[in-house]
Amino acid sequence: MKISIRIRSDTLRGMRADLARPHAHAWERVGFMTTAATASSSELLLLVREYRPVADEDYRRSTRVGAEIGSEAFRKALQWAYQPKSALIHIHAHHGTGKPNFSGTDFRSGREFVPSFFATLPRMPQGMIVLSDDSATGLLWLGEHETPLKVDHFSQSGSNYRRDWMVL
Amino acid sequence: MNWLDRQSFLGADSDRHLADLTVAIVGLGGGGSHVAQQLAHVGVGGFVLADDDRIDESNLNRLVGGTRKDVDFGARKVDIAVRVIRAVNPNARIDLAPLQWQEAANQLKNCDVVFGCLDNVRGKDELEAFCRRLLIPYIDQGMDVHSVGDHFLVAGQVLLSMSGGPCLRCLGIVTQEALAAEGRNYGAAGGKPQVVWPNGVLASTAVGLFVGLVTPWHPSLGGGECLEYDGNAHTLHQSDRMARLRGRPCPHHPVTELGDPGFDVRRLVLAGPIAEIDSRYDVPNRWWVALRRWLLMRIGA
Repeated sequence: MKISIRIRSDTLRGMRADLARPHAHAWERVGFMTTAATASSSELLLLVREYRPVADEDYRRSTRVGAEIGSEAFRKALQWAYQPKSALIHIHAHHGTGKPNFSGTDFRSGREFVPSFFATLPRMPQGMIVLSDDSATGLLWLGEHETPLKVDHFSQSGSNYRRDWMVL
Repeated sequence: MNWLDRQSFLGADSDRHLADLTVAIVGLGGGGSHVAQQLAHVGVGGFVLADDDRIDESNLNRLVGGTRKDVDFGARKVDIAVRVIRAVNPNARIDLAPLQWQEAANQLKNCDVVFGCLDNVRGKDELEAFCRRLLIPYIDQGMDVHSVGDHFLVAGQVLLSMSGGPCLRCLGIVTQEALAAEGRNYGAAGGKPQVVWPNGVLASTAVGLFVGLVTPWHPSLGGGECLEYDGNAHTLHQSDRMARLRGRPCPHHPVTELGDPGFDVRRLVLAGPIAEIDSRYDVPNRWWVALRRWLLMRIGA
């Protein structure tokens, strides 16, 4: 089964601009996307509804990784994704071009917090995405105890239709 | 020499981008048959062809690729389109849906762009709504011949419908009156008047909008397009109504109404092997491998 994520170009543009804003003490900004979903026999398709940034005050200092987002950020995101029922996708950006990779810290922390979303949103897949300046990499969980799957395709629909997440 | 060399101005890697795309054509009659032929020439690599109809005598005046022999055999319109596409691009990926498009929804979901070449208002309305829910750009074309006194007017339009932009209802192409009139005439004998050249003009315009959408050969205004055709004056012009509505949100298809409202991942049947996770993300496994290697070294194995 292939996994695809489609987004409106204006949503993507706004999200990239937001994630590029500097923060007082966090090196990387974080946000969440909510998505709808549909499936065929060969593909699971996620459709991005909205993006929201994590509020400045919901970052907390961490001796281990510099800064991290606190439980209040997750609570707000889950409440937001609850109605209409949405997949919740954690998103942040790394600088550079080409296909980005999650860092070991990204993956370790994601494997803890993403499966916890299923307690509130059991009907929807959940995931995390990292952006580079011109591309994206994503992991999607289909269940709390499932192995995460790679997102195969990213596409955007706007003044141009593209099968990538470059900024138009 | 590559068969697409003469269109390299469409952009770097445009051949590959076009080949990677999968485009649905819903309705393969007078309009859709032109679209299929042109998309094959442009180099689109994947097609979903949806039409439950077979060619008959009255289609021969406009169905591109249709032959007398096809009429004699009662060939399916999807098969005629396959023949036309394969004659240009034998390697095209073609997924057939000789069904009502609603029965082929799963095939359409995976498409990058959908062309609506239907001759009924309700069908256009429903297909556009389907595409809006899936953020799929939808390109609609339609033409009509109207009797005015002792002569006829040929008119039509091509619409590129994008999420958030004006839709067929916003532009007055789908109206309650049109839907009601179509309902009253449902099942009436005889087809609407149709001829080949307006279909050709509209299909070429639709393909032009498509190429502008998927390649960077010229800047697009965004938010969709609507072009109106006057078949008597042989002119196409941008819709005034579209110009007035551009930038205003569409009230008929809210951007938050996406996907399948009854979706439940727990019911998802995983057909076939699922994608493998990239091993470099499997941190504990890497750790265990390193630990195992260290232990083996320590015990001299």
